[in-house]
Order: sequence, then structure tokens, then C-alpha cells
Amino acid sequence: MAHFIFFGALYIVIAVVTSTLSTAVLNSRRTLQSQMTDRIAWNSEFHELPALDRVCRHVLTGELRSRECRHAFDCRECQTHARLIAKHPPTPAGKLEEDILGMSFPLDRLYHRGHTWARLEDDDTVTVGLDDLGRRLLSAPDAVDLPQPGTRVHVNSTAFRVRKRGADVRLLSPVDGEVLETGGPDRAWYLRVRPESFNVKHLLGGSEIRPWLQCEMERLQLALAAEGAKPSLADGGVPVEDIAAGYPDADWDAVCGEMFL
Amino acid sequence: MSAPKKYGMSIDIDRCTGCGACMVACAVENNIPPARPAANERNGITWIRVFKLDNGEDYPGKRSAFIPVLCQQCGEHTPCVSVCPQQAVDVDPRTGIVGQMPERCLGCRYCMAACPYHARYFNWWDPQWPPGMEKTLNPDVAPRMRGVVEKCNFCHGRWHAAQERAAAAGKADIQPGDYVPACVEACPTGAIAFGDLNQSDGDVARASRRPESFRLLERLGTDPKIYYRSRRPWVRKAAQDSRPASKAPQASGPVSQVAQASRPVSPSKEASRG
Amino acid sequence: MDKGLIARGLKRCSTGRFLLWILPWAALLAFGLYSAGLCLVLGLNQTNMDNRFAFGLWIFLDLTIIALGAGAFFTGFLLYILKVRELHAIINSAVVIGLVCYSGAICVLLVDVGQPLRAWFTFWYPNVHSMLTEVTFCLSCYLIVLFIEYLPIVLKNRKLREVPSFLVFEFELHKLIYVLAGVGTFLSFFHQGSLGGLYGVLRGRPFAFREGLALWPSTFFLFILSAAAVGPSFVLFTTWLVEKMARKPLVRPAVLQLLGRISGSLLAVYVLAKTVDTLVWINRTSPERGFPAAQYYSWQPFGTWILFAEIVLFGLAPALILLAPKLRARTGWLVSAAAMACCGVALNRFVMTIQTLALPTLPFDKFLSYYPSWQETGTFLAVVAYGVLVYSFSFRYLQLFPEERELKLEASQREEPVLAGRY
Repeated sequence: MAHFIFFGALYIVIAVVTSTLSTAVLNSRRTLQSQMTDRIAWNSEFHELPALDRVCRHVLTGELRSRECRHAFDCRECQTHARLIAKHPPTPAGKLEEDILGMSFPLDRLYHRGHTWARLEDDDTVTVGLDDLGRRLLSAPDAVDLPQPGTRVHVNSTAFRVRKRGADVRLLSPVDGEVLETGGPDRAWYLRVRPESFNVKHLLGGSEIRPWLQCEMERLQLALAAEGAKPSLADGGVPVEDIAAGYPDADWDAVCGEMFL
Repeated sequence: MSAPKKYGMSIDIDRCTGCGACMVACAVENNIPPARPAANERNGITWIRVFKLDNGEDYPGKRSAFIPVLCQQCGEHTPCVSVCPQQAVDVDPRTGIVGQMPERCLGCRYCMAACPYHARYFNWWDPQWPPGMEKTLNPDVAPRMRGVVEKCNFCHGRWHAAQERAAAAGKADIQPGDYVPACVEACPTGAIAFGDLNQSDGDVARASRRPESFRLLERLGTDPKIYYRSRRPWVRKAAQDSRPASKAPQASGPVSQVAQASRPVSPSKEASRG
Repeated sequence: MDKGLIARGLKRCSTGRFLLWILPWAALLAFGLYSAGLCLVLGLNQTNMDNRFAFGLWIFLDLTIIALGAGAFFTGFLLYILKVRELHAIINSAVVIGLVCYSGAICVLLVDVGQPLRAWFTFWYPNVHSMLTEVTFCLSCYLIVLFIEYLPIVLKNRKLREVPSFLVFEFELHKLIYVLAGVGTFLSFFHQGSLGGLYGVLRGRPFAFREGLALWPSTFFLFILSAAAVGPSFVLFTTWLVEKMARKPLVRPAVLQLLGRISGSLLAVYVLAKTVDTLVWINRTSPERGFPAAQYYSWQPFGTWILFAEIVLFGLAPALILLAPKLRARTGWLVSAAAMACCGVALNRFVMTIQTLALPTLPFDKFLSYYPSWQETGTFLAVVAYGVLVYSFSFRYLQLFPEERELKLEASQREEPVLAGRY
């Protein structure tokens, strides 16, 4: 009798552990084949961000008091976002300024919270670039890794990588599509992409830019202070062209990790 | 084949002189390796071991007794059998002997912790015989390897030999007296009687039923097959006392090395003990 | 130099300083391996164990670190099964501690047995009635579970997670982590218990023998309770120690206080159960077997002070401290109480191992003493060094404390209140 109980329990435990492992392995194989890797990578990185980085865009605009994003900044699937957009349609572009806090944020494009932007061109391609704050953080980079034409990019996957002073930053792609042409820091854009769809619900535009940027400047101050920088960027200050040069001791990898998510 | 036996012993403490012949015979019969220089009474191998019991008084009232202790071949709830993780110990249903399988022993020493009679011994060293001494080895008994536990098995090899002789002679069963362990054979005073406890009219069974017979640690419920007897009341009392005490008989081992003594606590505590 | 391996946003000391930290522990490990090697090659005569002290320092310390490593299964149970979300902050650290404790204990056990190469015999010829068989099976299975739980932590290393198959496997495995937590809890329940059962079934040792429920003596349940109580305390203590050595906040104080409260409550239940059990043992179990309990404490140095120390000083006192919210809020009290609880469990394991074997059972026996040889101590120090090394490497290259990054920002926020508008 004791034999049955003992060996029964043992075999059940072994079976449960092996089946858990094999389920994980099989599911991994399937996931790898379905090319969801980028989404998983971004999801895992998103959940490692500090809570104040995961704030919902509607908190930035003041519509909500506090909310943590539950979709890893992919507002395309978010019910709350759809509901709020229906209630408060975005301000028409004509009434807004392009120069915000001393930085240039043109209104002909939409911005990703990771500081890339996407602009629909006349030939139905999308241009992807780095916004002004991103440019000032990564000015005069040591190296830029651009994808080969023909590579597929997905929303929130890696669009391209920039290396500067020990920081190895991956920039998040604002669109799904296939890379047609690559630019670089010397040109006004980084990638030209043939989009799969032009669902841009997850990108920021219009009246959202100012509050978002104010929040980003606070986050930048926090990140710099966390790296031991002395007080700077007092209210109203404009970031210089090469921010990194102003903080030679700061861990630029950590600062960029914060700002570019 | 034959009715199951329950081999046991009746040891007459009054006859034991403490000569230690049983210890020597056991070591010779069972191929116990010679002790290494670092061995002492705590890590040497003595399947049977004679202890000295004193009545605690000084001259001229001092009296001593000698008690040979070996594996008690427990019957009920054998402490060592139930704890061995590899089933390297079992109770032979044909003989009642608790047998140890050194080939399967892992050396975890759990059985040694379990045995209240301290009858189990561990091979702390590799067995080594000086050149030439291998001629003294008993070919019927396998020597054990380093790192395993061993203990008295009532010279099981001799039982096997007796069985084979009986089978060769066409007999169904061995006769009492065909098979005796080495210690029984060597004892010069015949203090150790060996036999089948199931034979109620046999020597051992009858001796075990005498009023002066007792077993060690009887209340633990191990049902040992070794019965001790003594006509001296102080011996019976001392051997069944629950603890050695400073006023009561203090024991010392057969080897001269003195183990660490201990100071008992205040006399009031001792007085309050039963 | 190894910056690329350290998680983004986390600050760790320079590679040179890290090597300076590692070096003495590596040396200690080398010395310990040499000691263990001596025991394996020359035999267990290298130790001071003997036929009376069949168990010594190693068994006592093995049982202690297995009890201390119980934080791994218990935190996993609380987090993944009971959904106590705050414990997410220390689960990784608890898993590493558990892994180190269990793997270290098993390595020492392999040196402790006379024939380590026969270790597989227990799996091939198991004696289902023996507590040690239960221990062997549960420990082995649980060690495998711990390795599987450690794997996702390793795979989330900055460089390793860039490999797509590692990333995806970690993600898929994490979805099923609650299954592993459940299995781990089941196995731990049984092996912590059967370690207690090891002593409770010894009918030949009335000091250790206990009555119980079905085939499980009361020590089975007491060991589970004490391990579950002390696991969170040990996690608390090590977290505090690591915070002190790293000189940065790693968890919110509320998490440590939660651990303290959990530990305190379980410790209180344990002390109650142990008191009842001790009373039953003193008044019924032991006298029925012919051994009045007072005699166990009549041999120096094991007077009744040891019983008092185990149950009151290192049991009730830390339990009361950890249950008092005002005291829990003060780090000094919290950490001291946690340390005392750990000492209490160590004392309990010591008493069950060493005192049991020291006490005479036969009247012509002696009370004996034992102290470990340097080889025994060295072997155990190897485990300590191994633990520190594994934890150090894990702390540096893996993310053991998910809240560390957030706490770093909050700390700088407190120093530099941001003047721009709040959102």
C-alpha cells in the first residue's frame, strides 16, 4: 500500500515537471516560428520599466488621474484609449506650435513614446526618424546599426540601434512594415518603410506632444540625477545639442535606457 | 522446508569473566581488519564488545560484572531495518537474524543513529591486513569495504555451512548444536547459550523465561533476542537503569582509553529522579 | 569591462573590485574542496565522527541550511499560489538562496556518505518506509525544480535575453511558473517534514522519538512549520545584508516588514506547537519508554538552558518582536529578530542531531562529546564560499531585485524634487 502511494506520488511529480518543461519548449518553438519574438522581447522589457515610466498617455494629457499602461504602449488594442479618443477627439493641427520647450517637434508626423517618429509620405511609404530630444541625447553617435533593406519591422520591435559613449540603444519602431531604404543621422530620417497597415492609434500627436514632452524632461532630469548629475535643466531650460557632453560622468547607457524605454 | 527459527542467546552475566575471548573469536571469524593506529574505542570495529559494570561502591564493597553486548537481533519494529533507505538490512524470516548487506550499504549511518544498543560499526578506514596476515582470513566470510556499516549477524556464514552439510547428508533440517556462532564456541565459561527461541523446551528459551532474565532497553519495544540473566539484584538493576549516574555503577570500556567524563548537575536534580 | 552583461540602469562596482571580492571566497572554496577531497579519497576517518557520533557537523549544518533555504518554496507559494504580489520584489533572490542551500547540502551529503557512488541505490531499491528515502527523493526532485526556477532568472541576463530562443523559452516557462511553485511546495512540505521525521521515528533514541499522526511523528510537522517560519526570515536577513554591502536600496521596507510579519506569525504557531509537543514528550512519550525527560538535561553542557534557549529565547522572543508592528518598522529590531529566528532553527537542528547522539541510551554507556575536525569544517566552508560566489555572480549579472531600478529613481527624486508640473 505504502508502495503505491510513494511511487504514485513520485511519478506524478516527475510527470508534472517534465510536462511543464516540454510544454514550455513546444510553445517556445511555436512562438519562434510565428515570429512573435519581438513582441515578447518588448513586453518583457516594458514590465521591467519603473512604474513611473509606464504611465498611460491619457494621464499625461490630464484626462485620467493615474493609470498604468496595460498594453505595453500598444494603444491599438486598448478599449480605454478608444473610448477616450471618442469622447475627446484630438485638436486639429493648425492651432498648435511646433517649437516645444526649445525643441522642434513638427506636426506633420506622429511620435512614439520611445522618441521615434513616423510620417506617411505621398507614395504610401512611411518615413521613420529620431525626434529632436532623441537626437540631442544621441548626437554624434559612435556607431549606428541600420537594418538591411527587406528586413521586417514591427511596432515596438527594434527599428535600428545607436551606440554612443558606452550606451547601446535600440530604438523602437513606430510601424509594422518592410524596410525599403535606410538613411542615418546625417539625413533627416533613418528608415523608409512600406507599411503593412497605417493604424497609428498608438502614436502621439497634436496636443498630446507638449504634456508628453514636459513629462519626458522631468524623466530626463530624474535619470540624470540618478546618475549623480548635479542640478540642471531648471524649469524652462532648453537641452543643448549634445546633452551627453554636458554630463561626462553620467552612465549614458542608464540614461538612454530610461529615455528610450 | 523447515519451520522458521528464531535464533537467540541467553547470556549468564554471572559467568562472564571479561576475558574477551568472544571478541577475539568474533574478529577472527568475521575477518575484522586490524585497527589502524588512529583507531580508538569509539571508531574501532567490535561486533561483540564486553562492558564492565560496577556497583558504585568502594573497597571492600566494590563488585563488578561483565556484560558482552552484540547486535540484539531485534524482532519487533527493528529500528535499523525500517530506516535503511536502500533496504540493505532485513530480518531473515527463516532465522530471525537481522542481516546487513554491505554491498548495498551506502554508508549513510542512519541505522547507526537508530540503534540504541550501539551495535553497529562503520568502516572508517579501508580494511588493510599486513602482508602475510591474509592467511588468517576466513574464506567463508566476505570482508567489507570502506564506508559501509557492519554488525554481528550470528556468524551467518556458519549457518549456511551447517545447512549445506545437512543437505549433503540428506537431512531436512540442521540439528541444534550444528550451528553456533564463534563467540559462543570460544567462551571458556560457557556464559553464552545459543539456540532457537521457538523451541520452547530448548536451553535458551527456558533460560529466557527465568525470573532473573531480562533484556536491555525492554521498554523501547524493540523485542531483542538476547536475554541476559544474573542472580545478583544489583546487576539486574544497574543493567536496566535508564542512565549511567555518578553514584550508580559507572561503566568503562575494555580498551584503556578513557572517554570524556561529564559532570552531572546539582544533587537535588538527581534526588528527584526516580 | 563586463558592462554589457550588467542589466541596464543598474549600477555595479567595477570589474576589478568585483574580482577582489571574489578572490578570498574562491580561495576558501579551493581549500574546502581540498578538505572534501581528502574525505573522499582517504575516507571518513578524516572526520571526528565515530560509531557513537554517526552524524556530526555536516548533518547538523545540512539540516540547518535546508531549513533556511525554505524561503524559496515558501515565497514561491505565497507569490504564485496565494498571489501576495509584494513578494515579487524578492522572489528571485529567494530562489537563488534556495538553490545555493539545497545544492550545497546535497554536495555535502555526497561527501558524508561512505560510498557516494552508490547514491543511486536509494533510487533503485527504495525503502518506502524509511524517512531517509522520502528525503532523498524529495530533495533530488526539488533540486531539479529549483534549477528550473533559476533558469528564467539566468536567461533574463542582458546578453542572454538577446538570443531569441532563450527569450521565448523564458517567457513560456514563466507562464507556467505557478505549476512549478505548486510542485515545489508539495515536495518541500514532504522533505522538510521527513527531515523531521528522520529523528521522530527513532524509537531507539527516546530523546528524539515522538508520537504523531499516522506514520508521521510530530517532528515531521514541527520541522515543516519551523522551516516555513524561518525561510522568510533568512530571505529578510540576506536581503538586508546585501543592501548593506551594495550600499543601495534593493527592496521597499514594506516588503521586508511583510516578510517579518509572515515569519513572526508562523514562528508563533511553531512555538505553540513545539511547546505542546515538548510537554507531551516530557510527561508521556519519554517516561513510557523508561526515560524520565529530566535526565536528558543532566549532562553538561546540555542543561535545561538549551531547551529554554531553543523555544523561548530564539523562538518566542523573535516571534513577538516580528509580530509587533512598531518594532517591525525599525530595521534594527526586524533584522535582529530575523537573525534570532534563524539561530533558533539552527539550535533545534543541533539539538536533534548532536544532543540525541551524545546522550547515552544504555546504562553502561557514557555521555560523549564531539567536535568537528578541520576537514569537516573546511568542507562546510566550501559550501558557504560556493553560496557567496553564486549569489555574488547572480547579483551582479542577473536581476535579483526587480524594484532596484525604481528605487534608484525614487531615491534621486527625493534628493532632487522636480520643479516642473506634476502629472
